[in-house]
Amino acid sequence: MKSSSPDRKRWSFVVGGLLMLSLVAAACGGSGSGSERGGGSGEGESGAGKPTPGGKVTYALEAENSEGWCLPESQLAIAGIQVARAVYDTLTAPNEDAEYVPYLAKSLTSNPEFTEWTVTLREGVKFHDGSALDSTVVKNNLDAFRGTYPARSPLLFRFVFQNIKDVTVVDPLTLTITTSTPWASMPAALFGSGRIGIMAQAQLDDPDTCDTKLIGTGPFKLVSWTQNEGFLAAKNPDYWQKDADGVQLPYLDEIEFKPVVEASARINGLLADDVNAMHVSGGEQIDDLRSATEEGKINSFESDKFAEVSFGQFNTSTEPFNSRTARLAAIKSVDMETFNQTRNLGVLKNANGPYAPGGIGHVKDTGYPTYDLKGAKDLVAQYKRETGKDLEFTLIGTPDAPTGASMALVQQMGQKAGIKVNIQTLEQAALVSTAISGDFQAMVFRNYPGGDPDAQYNWWKTGSPVNFAKFSDPKIDSLLDEGRATADKDERQQIYGDINKQFGAEGYSLWLQWVMWDIGTATDVYGIVGPDLPDDGGAPFPGLATGHPVLGMWVKS
Amino acid sequence: MVILKKLGQLAVTVILVTLFASLLLELLPGDPVEVLIPSGSDEQRADLREELQLDQSFAVRYSTWLGNFAQGDLGNYYTVSSDRPVSDRLWDSLPVSLLLMFYAQVLALLIAIPVGVITAYRKGTWFDRMSNTSAFAMLAIPNFALGFVLQYYLGVKLGWFKTSGYAAPSDSFVEHMQFMILPTITLAVGQVAIYMRLLRTDMIATLQQDFILMAKAKGLKSKRILFRHALRPSSLTLLTVAGLNVGTLIGGALIVEVVFALPGMGLMLFEAIGKRQIVAFQSMVAVIAILYILVNFAVDLLYTVLDPRIRHAHKS
Repeated sequence: MKSSSPDRKRWSFVVGGLLMLSLVAAACGGSGSGSERGGGSGEGESGAGKPTPGGKVTYALEAENSEGWCLPESQLAIAGIQVARAVYDTLTAPNEDAEYVPYLAKSLTSNPEFTEWTVTLREGVKFHDGSALDSTVVKNNLDAFRGTYPARSPLLFRFVFQNIKDVTVVDPLTLTITTSTPWASMPAALFGSGRIGIMAQAQLDDPDTCDTKLIGTGPFKLVSWTQNEGFLAAKNPDYWQKDADGVQLPYLDEIEFKPVVEASARINGLLADDVNAMHVSGGEQIDDLRSATEEGKINSFESDKFAEVSFGQFNTSTEPFNSRTARLAAIKSVDMETFNQTRNLGVLKNANGPYAPGGIGHVKDTGYPTYDLKGAKDLVAQYKRETGKDLEFTLIGTPDAPTGASMALVQQMGQKAGIKVNIQTLEQAALVSTAISGDFQAMVFRNYPGGDPDAQYNWWKTGSPVNFAKFSDPKIDSLLDEGRATADKDERQQIYGDINKQFGAEGYSLWLQWVMWDIGTATDVYGIVGPDLPDDGGAPFPGLATGHPVLGMWVKS
Repeated sequence: MVILKKLGQLAVTVILVTLFASLLLELLPGDPVEVLIPSGSDEQRADLREELQLDQSFAVRYSTWLGNFAQGDLGNYYTVSSDRPVSDRLWDSLPVSLLLMFYAQVLALLIAIPVGVITAYRKGTWFDRMSNTSAFAMLAIPNFALGFVLQYYLGVKLGWFKTSGYAAPSDSFVEHMQFMILPTITLAVGQVAIYMRLLRTDMIATLQQDFILMAKAKGLKSKRILFRHALRPSSLTLLTVAGLNVGTLIGGALIVEVVFALPGMGLMLFEAIGKRQIVAFQSMVAVIAILYILVNFAVDLLYTVLDPRIRHAHKS
């Protein structure tokens, strides 16, 4: 899976920036590892030697998270998640195989029906303000996320956790979570793409500065945050994790996140040593980083494992895409190979469904139509016979040049098949409103980070307020419920594979490419994915779609 | 009396500018609440809309804001979780933008004045032609493109300056300048061309005046004639445009601040428009309008210093 080019990135920026951060309860699934490239002397992560404590990393992020980090009320995109993962810990975390293992929790067990989960917390963990992590504060956090804690008014996770019936404190380190229906993927939901960090009681109850005074149990403590300038965090000396050699984590003394909106400026900053870590996701930018890495100027770690997908979202509740014929015609009209080469330099991989390779639900042949000009023309004719209308639709994107070029390409390809594609540009705020109102025919999204496929439940369930495609598919509804109720891997693969195929058969979306992320660092910075998970939880998760842990980052002295 | 007149002018301008700008923002599609809660329920949005008083009419919201602004209250950002006064961020970011515009203006004038004077004096020479061609080229280069080019060659390749970010002068002036030089050059380049061309034109006219002929006849050195006698009366247009150009600089700063990740007003304004932070936008526009008027008031005062005829006319 490869990322998007500048245009893709902009397209996704559109709704991606605000909407993709939405539900996505659990993150990432799949297998394999990211691709690491060593710069400098040619040594990569593996040849770096033993981590040395100390030093500072200045990390350029693609955006400022102006909404802050009152987590139940936040809707974090990747830049915000990246910071959250420095300050907060989640109860669970994914490992290399996207199994969600206990993290801040010591253990997580369920009854055979998956309707009652018992969470046991680690002993002796303290928040940055010195208060202890106990079951009461965790219960309050979970209640805040699901909308039953009076002091907070949650947004996204109110939907995600609506299946939770109750959270009960058993003893100071134990609590139980009861669900309305079986929920086998609860551990994944509790990770929530890194968004379900556990906040201290003081932050949770803070009426005035909950979003700016961050108090977590994570590897770094907030020192200062000046919006648009930087978020500085210092090592938490009492952090509960040590590495395999018994060295206290995190390794770094400080980490500073700086918002640098322009991807080119982030790359220039890295090459000029003004920052020593940064992330990008565009095809062209990744290509630039690859070149710089090959020249030995930087290290980079790229990954399309457990990736998100960029796609054209059809509104199935209105003409013309309430017609399957129209959807399939539009899909068949786009020559994705040409599109990818033209717009993404071929860096990315074309998608065939919502689930990225390696993750549960991915199947090689989803039945998703490929480019077929004659087939598209036939379907256009069929649409005319069925409705008496020519096939015409409006494609919405942001008003930047790369997006315009991509939309023009789709328009050009559609024209060859006899489809009239009108292009409309809306800047981001207007586009979000349009998506919410449902007053659109097609627009481009980026969403569905790989990992546990149950994370997509709310995006696709009939009647969900975030089912922006507005499709109502009894088969998908039923499969979503079945998938949620079982922990059997093979069974889940079958279920989510069927969902994937249903998407292919119905053509609910025009799948574009899987998104690749690349973390570029100075040649002396290592440890992007972090150490193995605690208590033999497995090797670290290689996906980058929702950021990465920073507790294992280190600077070679 | 003049000050009272200016204050009245300032108040009217602020009202007109903020009203017009707010109306424009109001007319744009996009709802602040939907931007804040893209994936929330309709009920949540309705509650927040009421809490933020966005359910009220534009007239009510604008007059409330104006009343508060007049009392020094710049309002709060629209947020879900806390109160975030606009003033907190504005007072942090305003100095950054002011310094950037000041440096750009100083740099532009430092280059444009001598070049403008010399090209006027040496009209038609290779230096004049080269300067004019360069001026057109400088005018044609978009800020953002120049910014990236400078960032790459002077920041990355040569490593002379910082490519993005900011340090306050109070922390380290050297570091501050390392961050500010590239944005300053980027912003100044277009201004250099404008100022140089303006000054050259005015200087050519001035150099044909009788008093210049008289100075030459008296045997004064060219340098003295140019900079002591000709420059001052040729500077009025330059000064007027430099004052008016503050608006252009603000617009340019917006782009330059994004390219160089400078935490200034431009970035704030950009964000406020994008996220439909109407109150923050109104307050920022009002502050910019006030600054603009003050700068141009200062320019008016400078006229009297530069040209005795204006001073005497005022007195009479």
